[in-house]
Amino acid sequence: MVVGLSAAERRYLTDGIAQGLRNDGRGLYDFRAFSVELAIIPQANGSARVRLGATDVITSVKAELGRPQASRPSQGRVEINIECSSTAAPQFEGRGGEDLSLELSRALYRSLLCNNGTGPAIDLSALTVIEGKLCWNLFIDGLVLSSDGNLLDVLAIAVKAALSNTGIPKVEVTSAAAAEQEADFEISDNPDDFSGFDVSHVPVIITLTKVGRTYIVDATEEEESQMSSAISIAVNSAGHVCGITKRGGAGLDPSVLLDMISVAKEVSKSLLSTVDAEIMAAESRGDDQM
Amino acid sequence: MTEHEHAASVGEDVELEAFRRLYPLEFLEKFLKDGVRPDGRPLGRARSTLISVGSLPHAEGSAMVKLGNTTMLAGVKLEVMTPSVDFPDEGRIVVDFQMPAICSPHVRPGRQSELEPVVSEQIRNALSSSMMVDLRELNIAPGKAAWMAYLDVYCLDSDGSLLDAALLATAAALADLKLPEVAVTDDGKVLPASSDVQEHRSLKNIQSKRLKLGKIPMALTCAVHPKYILPDPTAEEEAILKTTITVLTDFSGQLFSLYKPGGEVLASTSTVQDCFALAKYRGKELQKIFNNAVIDAEADDAMVED
Amino acid sequence: MAASRVSSYSLESQRVSLARGSSALISPEGVREDGRSPHECRPAFLQTGAVNAAAGSAYAEFGQTKVIVSVFGPRESKKAQAYSDIGRLNCNVSFATFAGSVRGKAGQSTEEKEYSQMLYKGLEGAVALHTFPKTTVDVFALILQSGGGDLPVVLSCASLALADAGIVMYDLVSAISLSRLDTNLLLDATLGEEINQDGSLMLACMASRNEVTQLLLTGEWSQANLSEGLKLCLDACTKLAGLMRSTLKESTSNIED
Repeated sequence: MVVGLSAAERRYLTDGIAQGLRNDGRGLYDFRAFSVELAIIPQANGSARVRLGATDVITSVKAELGRPQASRPSQGRVEINIECSSTAAPQFEGRGGEDLSLELSRALYRSLLCNNGTGPAIDLSALTVIEGKLCWNLFIDGLVLSSDGNLLDVLAIAVKAALSNTGIPKVEVTSAAAAEQEADFEISDNPDDFSGFDVSHVPVIITLTKVGRTYIVDATEEEESQMSSAISIAVNSAGHVCGITKRGGAGLDPSVLLDMISVAKEVSKSLLSTVDAEIMAAESRGDDQM
Repeated sequence: MTEHEHAASVGEDVELEAFRRLYPLEFLEKFLKDGVRPDGRPLGRARSTLISVGSLPHAEGSAMVKLGNTTMLAGVKLEVMTPSVDFPDEGRIVVDFQMPAICSPHVRPGRQSELEPVVSEQIRNALSSSMMVDLRELNIAPGKAAWMAYLDVYCLDSDGSLLDAALLATAAALADLKLPEVAVTDDGKVLPASSDVQEHRSLKNIQSKRLKLGKIPMALTCAVHPKYILPDPTAEEEAILKTTITVLTDFSGQLFSLYKPGGEVLASTSTVQDCFALAKYRGKELQKIFNNAVIDAEADDAMVED
Repeated sequence: MAASRVSSYSLESQRVSLARGSSALISPEGVREDGRSPHECRPAFLQTGAVNAAAGSAYAEFGQTKVIVSVFGPRESKKAQAYSDIGRLNCNVSFATFAGSVRGKAGQSTEEKEYSQMLYKGLEGAVALHTFPKTTVDVFALILQSGGGDLPVVLSCASLALADAGIVMYDLVSAISLSRLDTNLLLDATLGEEINQDGSLMLACMASRNEVTQLLLTGEWSQANLSEGLKLCLDACTKLAGLMRSTLKESTSNIED
């Protein structure tokens, strides 16, 4: 980490956390306030920008028609690609951000789609237009503009927001073609004629960062620099865990792990309702402008 | 290790190791003078050689070769291609020699070792000049479909004479290669043999078969010292002597090519002739080992079919 | 190149044949395709000292999955890297082109990069980095054959190779994965099972210290399921750690002979 903390600052930070006090006055399990903006990229089918403290990310969803994979004829495909802009942090310059970009992309993918693309968060069969022939493929791209810790959690919020903002155009199949032929279809050009996307199953991710013997949520970059280990846990609205990724660091006792999972579940309840409220607020702001 | 066995005490062991590192050439010469090599074999002998075939079930042909510590694993994967207009009844064999980072401290991941393209090219040359495989053997439907065989040779442990071991693994993998049974439609579409026949009435079945092999190429690398010739050198011997001569022949001793890539020692005609004689001897030895390994595999085949 | 590639003839159909319902993979009596019971691991074979050119190495075979790991160093860090008072661990995983049913391509794939990261994260908590300041230990893995559970096999094999190289560790890392198909939890899954899973769990731990060094979970899990899965993996890791320990003991007693 590039964060340069003096020994005294480090001590102040870690001792504070041990006593349940954080530099910015938050409790151990409190998120920073965040804001959501929707539909910021007109060319995309859905997009969102989320700012949490000084962490700032943009995500977009692009839907493209394609052929389903032979092994899964009744499902569309989702790809997630996160990029860490070199302006976000000095260590992202050149190829420095590549490792983190990959780690974030894969962690999001696993939380949303399992590792073979069958995940519970996105209903892939809803993306099918004609079984075995035509389906929508979603390309989710994320850009980290500025980083002040907790990138994965913020990206997960932004992906959820962008998906809620995503409209998929109606497709009219003009000829029911025979087995061997390509199907004819027309994409509706009426801008109001599209279907929305169900995001109620899309989880939020809560990263618990262990500093000393205590763990905190939504760690800032300074706090992350003092972590001994961290674990990211995805929880959906049903309260089910749908992804865990240990983010490296020292080993953890299994009982501590289970405790962390239950903390994540607890935190997820309030976070999910805040996320939903923020998305709703952003939607109504958008409607006002129109 | 055998060279350590004579050391009576730990102190001598350390001294020996220090001598070996500080004066590598003198160390080596002390052995050569007595007609032995540091690993205990007689001066003019190759290391013990093991070939086993069919170890990779995902590959249509595979072979593992151990030459002393040097270990090679070769695998053939088949794909269907459209033959070129000039040679409508020929398939292709694409050979790649790979040195993954696990095989040697001198290879780093992501960076190609300088030996990779050299050895790859030498193997390709050996295959084409020996005509070991007639490419028409890879034909499926003339002008429409043929087999493209990707042969990748991985070096798993690098301890000298890499070309010798890699070429042996290549030859053994090709001998182990079994073209699968396929069905071909009139327009040259290749389907697995189990495909539904009703959909394509014009289906023609092609039986699974092994390749008919021509002359089998082999290589013998010799490290050259002004006074001695060391066939099948280890990595240590190659590093000390810096000069090698590699002879490529078939098992009966017919010469295909000869490499002497620079080095400090100049080779006289008699040196080259000595290397050639060593290769001839080695060819007889290898032929036995090769045939045993390949015939064993074919016998296993026959048992399965029975 | 005059010839052009048309298709990899049977590959599509092979993929299709792998994707099928869980009923085909596990019988109502709870017997898996390869005859194992749900909570039984594949037969494992471990061996140290597979690569002589390396400072330490190990070969691992779990069912159809076969990997080799070599360890080099501690050796000089790359020039470009800044001074560090603890050692560096550099991990790299690659697949042989013939590892899978489809021929792999040259150049590092996303999967290889991800596995390399995961290998690093699974090992960093176990290696005593302060024992080799300023230097780097390289851990390189080659997957010769991919048959399911590749990453956990690489992890276990790598920790064995580190031990073989004499790198100081707090404990051996053993790792295992588990696939969930409907309600079945299948330990140490094969490739066929992995393709059809609706949830997965991979756990790497230091068994005698009772510490988890890496945990990956996908799919939606209830608390009860999750606890059961974790327990199954932890037990399997403990057993595997025993096997790894005896492999190491054997290899040292061979040297003494």
